[in-house]
Amino acid sequence: MCALVLAGALIPARAHADHHTMTMPEDTPASSFDASVSILAATFSTMFYGGDYEGVVPSVGWANERVGAGASWAYYRLLENGLTRFGEGDLVLHAQATALGEHDLQAGPTIAVSIPTGESELGFGMGHVMVMPAAWGAWRRDRLAVTASLGYSRALVHASALHDHGMWPLVEPMNMSEITWSAGGELAIAEGIRAGARLSGGVPIGLLPGHDRVVGTARVAWATGRVDTAAELQAGLVGDPFNIRGVLSTSLRF
Amino acid sequence: MRTLILVFLVACTTTPLKGPPTEATCPDATNPALTWNNFGYDFACHYCTNCHDSSLKLSQRNGAPLFHDLDTLQGMMIVSDHTDEQAAWGPAAHNSFMPGAGTGGKCPSVLGGELDENCPKPTDEERENLGTFLACEKLRTQDYTDSDAGVSDHCANYTGPH
Repeated sequence: MCALVLAGALIPARAHADHHTMTMPEDTPASSFDASVSILAATFSTMFYGGDYEGVVPSVGWANERVGAGASWAYYRLLENGLTRFGEGDLVLHAQATALGEHDLQAGPTIAVSIPTGESELGFGMGHVMVMPAAWGAWRRDRLAVTASLGYSRALVHASALHDHGMWPLVEPMNMSEITWSAGGELAIAEGIRAGARLSGGVPIGLLPGHDRVVGTARVAWATGRVDTAAELQAGLVGDPFNIRGVLSTSLRF
Repeated sequence: MRTLILVFLVACTTTPLKGPPTEATCPDATNPALTWNNFGYDFACHYCTNCHDSSLKLSQRNGAPLFHDLDTLQGMMIVSDHTDEQAAWGPAAHNSFMPGAGTGGKCPSVLGGELDENCPKPTDEERENLGTFLACEKLRTQDYTDSDAGVSDHCANYTGPH
């Protein structure tokens, strides 16, 4: 509850539950608010845990032509090793800017910070603050859009206190210290409908233990008026972030 | 406004459920007072193994992670750091997450069963002894096949209360 209050008091924003996955709207008006909700379902099988989870992720955001900010907060049902639990995930705050915006090319910095509102021991949260700065770029020509990002994510915790449990938490796993990356493309296939694919992942660096992670995503999105809706099918290709995950999200701009 | 934000950030940050290492020490590593025979076996079989047992299927573990099986001394020592951080007391920390806190205070009354009873809780002294026992076992040269030392005793043979 306090996280909702914080989110409301702090910022309107363009939320990024999936860290920086470089989804920039194609025709952003001068300034707009948005409210969105995503529902997701996944199965996972890691070294220590197996099961599935479902989640709902409400988010709010604000953006103009140069900057945007947002917040998102998930609530999950998690079945792990035979036990079902319910709980909120970590609160994610996000901001980004367009530093370069010429013709077909856009680029800029972005930063996300997760606040450990989720219970770490139960698999809902990292257990500490994560800071996730990155740079993103987007290139558009005709019906094609190509996007990419590169960043560094780090847990604000002393390395000597850690053991290698693999990536954590179960619902949105990351390493304690990692290079994050994503690259993808979208093609407008009909009026208001886009389809695309994306690869994203993390590479652990530093003294902290960790594992490589690669996620492949197929995506279709459609826009009608002020409503944007997208469906994604994601597969954990490397590192067991999950086996398969589906995400359906819809966003209202106003 | 900044103060308000800081207050909320602190309030929204959950207290860690797992503690730091207890930094318990072993008074006499060559002749430990607490052994698997006279302490560890009873502690593990009474408080832990209805979920943390190597015979349990994934769906019977009530959330206990795989390969965290405390039904043998060897199993316990493989994850001794985790056990210390979750259940033991020592000079640096009093860790009482397990048993019970991860399952709403409920535990199975039988091996791999449903969460149908309030978890039996170790006493403060037992948690301190757990920290000392683990500290001593970490220093000892382990021979998990030495049946004379009792280290091969398995919770499947346990006849005390679960």
